Amino acid sequence: MEQATPDPERQLQPAPLEPLGRSDAGLGVTVDEEAERAREEGSGGDTMTHNNFWLKKIEISVSEAEKRTGRNAMNMQETYTAYLIETRSVEHTDGQSVLTDSLWRRYSEFELLRNYLLVYYPHIVVPPLPEKRAEFVWHKLSADNMDPDFVERRRIGLENFLLRIASHPILCRDKIFYLFLTQEGNWKETVNETGFQLKADSRLKALNATFRVKNPDKRFTDLKHYSDELQSVISHLLRVRARVADRLYGVYKVHGNYGRVFSEWSAIEKEMGDGLQSAGHHMDVYASSIDDILEDEEHYADQLKEYLFYAEALRAVCRKHELMQYDLEIAAQDLASKKQQCEELATGTVRTFSLKGMTTKLFGQETPEQREARIKVLEEQINEGEQQLKSKNLEGREFVKNAWADIERFKEQKNRDLKEALISYAVMQISMCKKVGFGFNEDICIFRSTYKFL
Amino acid sequence: MAGGPPKALPSTGPHSLRDMPHPLAGSSSEEAVGGDSTPSPDLLMARSFGDKDLILPNGGTPAGTSSPASSSSLLNRLQLDDDIDGETRDLFVVVDDPKKHVCTMETYITYRITTKSTRVEFDLPEYSVRRRYQDFDWLRSKLEESQPTHLIPPLPEKFVVKGVVDRFSEEFVETRRKALDKFLKRITDHPVLSFNEHFNIFLTAKDLNIYKKQGIALLTRMGESVKHVTGGYKLRTRPLEFAAIGDYLDTFALKLGTIDRIAQRIIKEEIEYLVELREYGPVYSTWSALEGELAEPLEGVSACIGNCSTALEELTDDMTEDFLPVLREYILYSDSMKSVLKKRDQVQAEYEAKLEAVALRKEDRPKVPADVEKCQDRMECFNADLKADMERWQNNKRQDFRQLLMGMADKNIQYYEKCLMAWESIIPLLQEKQEAK
Repeated sequence: MEQATPDPERQLQPAPLEPLGRSDAGLGVTVDEEAERAREEGSGGDTMTHNNFWLKKIEISVSEAEKRTGRNAMNMQETYTAYLIETRSVEHTDGQSVLTDSLWRRYSEFELLRNYLLVYYPHIVVPPLPEKRAEFVWHKLSADNMDPDFVERRRIGLENFLLRIASHPILCRDKIFYLFLTQEGNWKETVNETGFQLKADSRLKALNATFRVKNPDKRFTDLKHYSDELQSVISHLLRVRARVADRLYGVYKVHGNYGRVFSEWSAIEKEMGDGLQSAGHHMDVYASSIDDILEDEEHYADQLKEYLFYAEALRAVCRKHELMQYDLEIAAQDLASKKQQCEELATGTVRTFSLKGMTTKLFGQETPEQREARIKVLEEQINEGEQQLKSKNLEGREFVKNAWADIERFKEQKNRDLKEALISYAVMQISMCKKVGFGFNEDICIFRSTYKFL
Repeated sequence: MAGGPPKALPSTGPHSLRDMPHPLAGSSSEEAVGGDSTPSPDLLMARSFGDKDLILPNGGTPAGTSSPASSSSLLNRLQLDDDIDGETRDLFVVVDDPKKHVCTMETYITYRITTKSTRVEFDLPEYSVRRRYQDFDWLRSKLEESQPTHLIPPLPEKFVVKGVVDRFSEEFVETRRKALDKFLKRITDHPVLSFNEHFNIFLTAKDLNIYKKQGIALLTRMGESVKHVTGGYKLRTRPLEFAAIGDYLDTFALKLGTIDRIAQRIIKEEIEYLVELREYGPVYSTWSALEGELAEPLEGVSACIGNCSTALEELTDDMTEDFLPVLREYILYSDSMKSVLKKRDQVQAEYEAKLEAVALRKEDRPKVPADVEKCQDRMECFNADLKADMERWQNNKRQDFRQLLMGMADKNIQYYEKCLMAWESIIPLLQEKQEAK
C-alpha cells in the first residue's frame, strides 16, 4: 500500500495537537478530510509504523522492559515492570531515523491513557491494551505477571497498542497521547487536570444496567449483539486452543521417553544397533521441538486476544450510543410532560395528576398571579428543554455518523488483520509438518541403509 | 518321522482356491527376505547354517554323531534351509475370513485356514479348513510337547478381560487374525516344525475334535525323550553361549516391555489430543457464522482442522493395530524361549550328573553306560536345535522390527503429509480476497 504524499504545507506547520473531543465542545466531532483520505488508502498494515498525520513520520517502539521497585500510594514497597518507549522521527528525504524522545512508563499509565481516550472519544473503537493478567494459559506457560515470557509478550502488546493509536486518523492527533510519548514527568497530573474522570459516565460502569430504549437503532443493537457473540466465540476458541496446546505438549514429551530405551536396546543388538540408536536420538529431538512450536502459536493466540478485547471496545461504543439514546428519550419525555402541564394550567383543565393539583383541591385555588408565575416558569423550562433536545438530537446524529465511520474502518482493519493471522497460522502449521515429517523420513533412510547388508 | 502318519481325513473339500490370493502375493516380513538371507554372525551364534561343517559341542560332525536319526534330521534341515528362498517353497498357509458362530452354549469366531502344498506329507494339493482359537492353542501345546528342543512361536493372548475389550469387534478380530496368520507362517517356515504331524492334522483334518478326543500320541522321538527328563537335577553353570542368549532375552523383553508401555501412553495422549481437536475445529465454524468476509476463511480453517483430526485418528488406530501387537508377540516369544532354555539346562544337568555318577564309581574300565550316552545325545541335539532356531529367530526378529519401525515412521510421515496437504490447500482460500481487493 502506498503512502499519501505528505502535504508540503503540513510539513511546515505544527500538526493540530488539541484533542478534538473536548468536554465543552460536546460530542460533535467531525471527521476531516485527511483522515478520510488516509482511511481510503488503508491506515493499517504496513503504515502502522509510519504516521502520516504528524509533522514528520514517526516510529514508536516499546523497546525494553525492566523490573523496578518503588513505593506506591500507600507508601508500601512494590515491584512493577517499566517499559521504555522510544519515539523516532524519520527524515522524509533519506529515511534515517533520529531518536527524539525516550521515556519509561508502567502498565497503569497505559491504562490511564486508554481510559482518557475512552471518555473523550466515545464514538471511536479505542484500541485495547494487552491483558492485565495472563489468561487462557496452557500449563507450561506461567500465569505469573513477572514471568519473562509474559513480560516480553506484554511489551509487544503495548507497542502494538501505541502503534494502533498512532495510525488512527483521529486518535493520533490527541495532545494527551502526544504528551504520553514525550512528557515523562507530570504527565499523570496533566491527564487528571482534563477532568476526564468526572466526565466519565458512571452509569456505563454498571455493566449489567439496562437502559430501556423505546426506539433502539437497529444497526447498533445488531452490532452490540455481534460484539457479544464475537467475544464469546473468541474466548471459547482461546480456551480450547490452550487445552489443545497442553495435549500436544504431552504427546511430544512422552515420545521423549523412547530416547533412552532405544539407546539401551541398541546396546544389545548388532545389526540393528545403529538404526535403533539414531531412532532414539530422533525421538529426543522430536520431543524437544514442541517448545518452539508452541511459542510460535502463542503469537497467534495474542493476535486473537487483541480482537477479543477489541470486541469489548466495540461493545462500549454501542453502549454509549444506547445511553445517549436513552437520555434523549428521557429528555423528550420530560419535555412532553412539561408541555402538557403548561397547557393544563393555561386552560384550567386537569387531565394529568399532579401534586399541585391535589394541594390546590385540598387547600384551595391559587391566585391567578401565582398561576401566571408558574406558567411562565414552565414556559421557560420548555424553551430550555426544546433547545437542549435540539442539541441532543444533533449530538446524537453526529455521534451516529462518526461512530459508524469508525466502525467501518474498524471492520476493514479487523478483516485484514484476522486474515493475515490465519494465513500465518497456516504457514506455521505447514512448516511444522514439513520439519517433523522430514525427521521421520530420516529415520526410514537410516533403517533402510542399516539393513543393507543384512 | 515317528511311525506312519495316520491317513489324513478328507478336508471340507478343496473348493477352487485359484480365486484366493497367492500367499506370496502380499509380501509378509518373512518372505520379503529375498537375496539378503545370508545372516552375518551374531555374537551368540557359532556358525551360520550354510556351513556344511556343522560342528557340534562334542566335536563330532553330523555324520559322526551317535544318533543316526538326529543326524539325518540335521541334514534334512540343511537342505531345506537352502531351499527356503521363495522359489522352491513348497508349503503355503493363509489365515483369513473370520466368521462368527452363534450356538446355544457359546459364541465364537472361526478362521479359514487355506493350505497349498506339493509335499508328499499332504494327500491333496490344497486344503481349506475352519479353526477357532482353541484349536490353535491345542496345536501349540502339542508342538511344545512334541518338539521341546525348538522355539515354538507365540500365540496372541488367550484371555481378554470382558467389558474392556469387545471380543467380537472388527478391530480385535482382525488383530487376532493377523497374529494367528503370523503364527502359522512361522511354523510353515520352520524346517522341522513344518513337518510336524500335529501341524499337518491341524491344516488338513475336517474335524479336529476327533483327533483331540483320540489323544493320539504323535510324539517325535525327541519329544518322547525329553519328556522323560527328570527335573531333579540342578545345572551348575550354563554354557557361555546359552547364558548370553538368556541375558539377551532378559534385556530384550525388558526393553520391549518399556517400549510397549510408552507406546500405550503415547496412544492415550494422542487420543486426548484428538478429543480437544474435535472441539477446536468446530469453534471456527461457529465464528464463521458471525462473519461476512471472514466466513469462508474461517470455515476453511475449521474443515482443515477436521481433516487433521481424522488423520490423527488413523495414526492412532494404526499404532494400536500394527505396532502394539508385534511388541506383545515378541515379549511372549521371549518368555517361551526362556522356558526352552531352562529345559535345555535340565537336560544338560541330568547328563552331567549321570556322567559324574559314573566317574565316581571308580571302575577300571570307565565304560560309558548306554543311558549316559543317551543323555549326551539328547543334550547335543537340544543344543544344536536351539542354536539353529536362535539364529533363525534373530533373523526373523531383525526383519520384523525393521519392518515395524520403518512402518511406524512411515505412518507418521503419512499423518504429517495429510496435515500438510490440508493446510496448504487453504492458503489460496485465505489469500484470495485480499488480492481481489
